[in-house]
Amino acid sequence: MELLVVLGLPVALALIPLVIKEIRKIAVYHTAGYFVLMIFSLVLAGRLTGRSISYRDFFYADALSGFFVLLISLVSFIASLYSVNYIGEDVRDNIISNRKARLYYLLFDMFVFTMFFSTVVDNLGIIWVSIEMTTLTSAFLVGFYNKKESVEAAWKYIIICSVGIALALFGTILFYYTASLNAGVHSLNWTEISAVSAKLNPNVLKIAFLFILVGFGTKAGLAPMHTWLPDAHSQAVTPVSALLSGVLLKTALYAILRYMIIVNKCIGPEFTGNLLVFLGLISLVVAAVFIIVQKDIKRLLAYSSIEHIGIIAVGIGFGTWLGYYGALLHMFNHAVTKSLMFFGAGNIIKKYRSHNIRQITGVLQSMPLTGFMLLIGVFALSGSPPFSIFLSEIMVLIAGFTGKSFAACFIFLACIAVIFAGLIFHFSGLLFGKKPAAMQVFVEPMSNKILFIFLGIIMVYFGLAIPEYFNNILKASINILQVM
Amino acid sequence: MNLLVIIIFVLTLMLVLSKRTVALINGFMLQSFCLFVLALTRAVWAKDSELYVVAALILLLKVGLIPYFLRWMVKKIKIDDNLGLSINPMLSLVIAVLLSFFSYLFAERIMGLQNKPDVAAFSVSLSVILIGIFIMVFRMKAVAQVIGLLVIENGSFLTAVALCGSIPFFVEIAIFFDIFVFAIILGIFIFRINKLFTHIDIDKLKTLRG
Repeated sequence: MELLVVLGLPVALALIPLVIKEIRKIAVYHTAGYFVLMIFSLVLAGRLTGRSISYRDFFYADALSGFFVLLISLVSFIASLYSVNYIGEDVRDNIISNRKARLYYLLFDMFVFTMFFSTVVDNLGIIWVSIEMTTLTSAFLVGFYNKKESVEAAWKYIIICSVGIALALFGTILFYYTASLNAGVHSLNWTEISAVSAKLNPNVLKIAFLFILVGFGTKAGLAPMHTWLPDAHSQAVTPVSALLSGVLLKTALYAILRYMIIVNKCIGPEFTGNLLVFLGLISLVVAAVFIIVQKDIKRLLAYSSIEHIGIIAVGIGFGTWLGYYGALLHMFNHAVTKSLMFFGAGNIIKKYRSHNIRQITGVLQSMPLTGFMLLIGVFALSGSPPFSIFLSEIMVLIAGFTGKSFAACFIFLACIAVIFAGLIFHFSGLLFGKKPAAMQVFVEPMSNKILFIFLGIIMVYFGLAIPEYFNNILKASINILQVM
Repeated sequence: MNLLVIIIFVLTLMLVLSKRTVALINGFMLQSFCLFVLALTRAVWAKDSELYVVAALILLLKVGLIPYFLRWMVKKIKIDDNLGLSINPMLSLVIAVLLSFFSYLFAERIMGLQNKPDVAAFSVSLSVILIGIFIMVFRMKAVAQVIGLLVIENGSFLTAVALCGSIPFFVEIAIFFDIFVFAIILGIFIFRINKLFTHIDIDKLKTLRG
């Protein structure tokens, strides 16, 4: 029943642009709708800490699903709030037509719906289908402006992610093969397979997990399968960039986690842990190299997403309680901080009409609030105290050191240091200095002010203390992840 | 059963050899037809009504609608028929054979499959997947990439039908739906690429770098 609300609301909102023609109204209804959904998810996630919901063997949600539902609803809300002004201006400046703006909202809702769907179904096959559907729905949002670059990005996005996902299908079938042959379970339901996981064939399981990890890892943006990510993130409509980076990548990780639990129950956490740490570290190294040489502001943020996905993967890979805690918390922190950065970058691109970092100067002068939030945001993003990302990164590091993975921790620290330097270098050039003489000082619209303050508060508050309510959600999720 | 698997294997090798877009589409259609016959014989043999539906869906979508749609598209955007091979057919064939030998080793050594039909079925399906990836990487037309992906999906289905009998019914229906939507959406993007760039050569899409 509760899940029906979570899934039904985006569908209901998707009907609005079909009926109402005025963009302003559609935008306001969407923001209100997603706000309600966010509050609802917050309550739902809290209730799921104690129990799990299942409905007709099809829907299944436990604390882990609750956490992801909360994450998706949060980012959907802030993305729809940002869209109010962003899409409004695009329509006013005749960049897109009214019809196209309505299409945007329709696709936005479908995209959010498919993400919700993938986190609340029991069947591993259906999870596969809904993750593929997230690619297909969001591809139109990546290629939305129909320019050469955006269509190229969308094409690469669909093709690379679909190949990845096709490999994941093969992995899923191998899971089914060993479940039906060795354990006699003729279903792909996660609850049923994980209940009999001790009986599965370890060899087949290992191979299947490799396919799953490479497959869904492509969608999660883990290097070296990340090549679609900078293109798609930089070309997508800015609110959608936030959705892609903030939650889409994590939805793919959610699928990996579900499989990981089964594999860990059967053969212990070393195998999956080592693989995840390995891929995570490669992502960190790749991100560090490309962040240094980057010229395009949104691509810079995209590579930073690869870095953070790497950190999350490393945290999960370390496999201790603290590692899981750090990784889950990091998912949340990254979603909040990265959305803020994308929104700031989106404002800058609108104002300066350029993606090139070296051509943009004096943002603090020309757009004071955006500039100030970006200044805080870049320190938060690169992991400085007292912001939230610092906290989760240090948790992951402690987990690594207590697990005696010194080499991994060393690479981790080196990459973080390089990325810190790179981000601060790029953003200081962009924020400080003189604004172009002809440029007017930008007055932020109300929706942006609310948005920036909301995100800023979360970012600082979670760096100082974690609310008990949220803490419980994380702890309950870890109980599901940790199978020992 | 075994014969069909071998026919599918031969057809897949022919896909690697084909130089023209239409030949590739036809090859995919024939391969899907074999998959349909395989699913049908399974259905008759196991008296499984769900498998009949699956077989019918293969016939409808993969033998009927998708190849028809692709052919219509090729005609509509008047691309030249050359696939743009970056590796010549003979060398491609050698690579494909190596890939299938690798799949055979994989099936026997790592998967630890015991009886011969299983080994054959598994190694053929894995090599279909690998060859699908090969087609995607080394053929430069957008249509070829779509077909490569559909071939990979055929390989997965072959695994499911040959190895497990079938996977749960509604999962299979959902996957079919997904593939269909996927083909349509890629078609839309091919039209857009053709309109914006006036060609569909993927190796010339190079604006986004670094």
